[in-house]
Amino acid sequence: MSEHTELLVIGAGPGGYACAFRAADLGRKVTLVDARDALGGVCLNEGCIPSKALLHAAEVIREARHMADWGITFGKPRVDLDRLRATKDAIVGQLTGGLGGLADRRKVSTRQGKARFTGPNRVDVDGTELEFDQAVIAVGSAPVRLPGWPDDPRIWDSTAALELREIPKRLAIVGGGIIGLEMATIYAALGSAVTVVELADQIAPGADPDGVRILHAALETQGVTIHTATQVNEVKASRAALTLTCRGQFDGTIKADVIIQSVGRRANGDRIDAQAAGLSVSDKGIIAADDAGRTEHPHIFAIGDVTGNPMLAHRATHQGHIAAEVACGHRAALGTVLIPSVAYTNPELAWVGLTQAQAKAEGRTVRAASFPWAASGRNLASGGGDGMTKLIHDPQTKRILGATIIGRNAGELIAEITLAMELGAGLEDIALTIHAHPTLSETVAFAAERALGTLTDL
Amino acid sequence: MTDIIASPSTRRRALEKGVDIEALAHRLGRSTIGPEDLEDSGGGKASGPAADTSYWEVDHAHYGPVTEEPVSRFARIAARNLAAAQTLIPAVTHHDRADVSMIESLRADWKSQAQARGVRLTALAFHVTALSCALRQFPRFNASLSADATRLILKEYVHIGIAVDTAHGLMVPVIRNADRKGLWQIAAEIADLAARAQARKIGPDEMGGASMTITNLGGIGGNAFTPIVNPPEVAILGLTRTETVTVWDGETPRPVPMVPLDLSYDHRVINGADAARFLTHYAGLIADPRRMLI
Repeated sequence: MSEHTELLVIGAGPGGYACAFRAADLGRKVTLVDARDALGGVCLNEGCIPSKALLHAAEVIREARHMADWGITFGKPRVDLDRLRATKDAIVGQLTGGLGGLADRRKVSTRQGKARFTGPNRVDVDGTELEFDQAVIAVGSAPVRLPGWPDDPRIWDSTAALELREIPKRLAIVGGGIIGLEMATIYAALGSAVTVVELADQIAPGADPDGVRILHAALETQGVTIHTATQVNEVKASRAALTLTCRGQFDGTIKADVIIQSVGRRANGDRIDAQAAGLSVSDKGIIAADDAGRTEHPHIFAIGDVTGNPMLAHRATHQGHIAAEVACGHRAALGTVLIPSVAYTNPELAWVGLTQAQAKAEGRTVRAASFPWAASGRNLASGGGDGMTKLIHDPQTKRILGATIIGRNAGELIAEITLAMELGAGLEDIALTIHAHPTLSETVAFAAERALGTLTDL
Repeated sequence: MTDIIASPSTRRRALEKGVDIEALAHRLGRSTIGPEDLEDSGGGKASGPAADTSYWEVDHAHYGPVTEEPVSRFARIAARNLAAAQTLIPAVTHHDRADVSMIESLRADWKSQAQARGVRLTALAFHVTALSCALRQFPRFNASLSADATRLILKEYVHIGIAVDTAHGLMVPVIRNADRKGLWQIAAEIADLAARAQARKIGPDEMGGASMTITNLGGIGGNAFTPIVNPPEVAILGLTRTETVTVWDGETPRPVPMVPLDLSYDHRVINGADAARFLTHYAGLIADPRRMLI
């Protein structure tokens, strides 16, 4: 006889474990299956968290160097790569171990193995059959591999890059999205000569061009070479180097010791034999789900990256909670489109809601007001460089429709605007809310005041 | 993103309660929805202008002995809806009267037939039939205005609501497709609905959706009143006690039994001249029921 569980969650990333824990809290008997040894998925094991640890190290290196201008010199940093890797791994271990404890406390049964559907109510986990009443697919996504590239250990994806195998002398990063730019930030600080090649007209495609311009300049100051509107036509591997032949705005070759491919992520929907459960999977590996997380079959849910873009951990977490609640008979749905995006580069780039370009595409009339961080006392006093807080609003209603922040801690600051937008706050509401001085958060109020014409700090 | 302002928690409560935030805001004429708007939103919350009622809060016992009883949920909802109707609808009441001698003689003629059928042929049955005819003639009276007053919905059916005074409050069961039913059937349905309303055994699908409502005080008394329009209907017809009126045929006085008619209407949809024409036509149908045939 096969084993039975009430709710099976496949994938223990931020969506999967949040879903499993919420369902357990609501009284379901839950089994959480993941192919990895540790819980936490890509985010904890080889994504958000380890990259943030390395970005912190990169920031300290940069700050220490920067202090020379303030009359404080530390000398050239010596990087003990093994120690740095061990610290990063310890942080990851602490968090994933903590998750194990949270699972035990909720009596969520965790199991390591690859789950594949064998029927509408059955999966096979590495040879063991498991029956379920309800299932949640949370199998995430994986880095896209470009076709036609040589098979070479010096070609990394983001996972390999975060393993911190070595600090290459010359590093080429193909794909200038959030992941590629974070890798550029880390390895440039560690000493690599970094070149980023991006197909689109700008790095961080989709983000506000004014914000991106500031980030672009900052990365160049950090020694990163950036080629936008450029395609990599060919990659050749020889013993001495990897050679990228580029076409577009940059025509020529780039020689590199290591290449990081960061051209996007692909949903993992086609890795679980979803067809056996009667589910269809798109040619992009996506399993479609509605705003309550339901797939074509009401007892099977899908959440997170496997449901398509935007592939972000915080979206998956919310979807996970909702799917758990719906599976347990509650009425719930993801009732928002406000999902903030953050590039943890130096400076950070964060945005939420509409950009001017999106508003224009929708035929919506909007206004933008921005506050330059060159006029922020706190930014200057903290050694911060160029930055900007920009609010997109409706000229009639004065409601906030979107925002972009570029600068230190932009990822933290965007939360205020996201909440303001959720609560329907307008420019005046933000301007009349007292922000502490001197803080970076003031720049949000200043941008609102600028839009209203009441700003006295500029 | 939607244009209605509602916090994430309010949106979640709305989803749980199955309330459409957009529709609710539309109905209340508002751009912001708060948690309190979701309470009992099914009943349709009145949004009359708030006034200072603090001076109503008086210690009545100070002036003499009093007792107190709670207001039932039924009565509270009715009170709220009546207040909203009275506040939000610019209503006018038009008065007229109709000669009922022919109806009275028909009722007398058909008395034995009625007894044989076991149906009481009331004057009200004639009024329901006459009103159905009049509504066919005047389609603007068989209409509803959208809550935001941007659309007039004209109905192709004729359903007549009958206000029934019951022990637990006022109820308005509806006679469906009254224009396609004969007098006997209408009389039977009135009796059935009224009896079941008294017993509080009226289903929710037997109320609502009326073209117009008749409120009849004829059996009790009075010679005029100003009924409140029952939205989303745009008019209501009130009847009071039939009285014998002296009519002068030239120099000759003649006693004529007349029923007073009180038509309250929503002035946003119906003008005074239309109301006068409507009630004149209606009085004609009552005075000579043969006109209902043509």
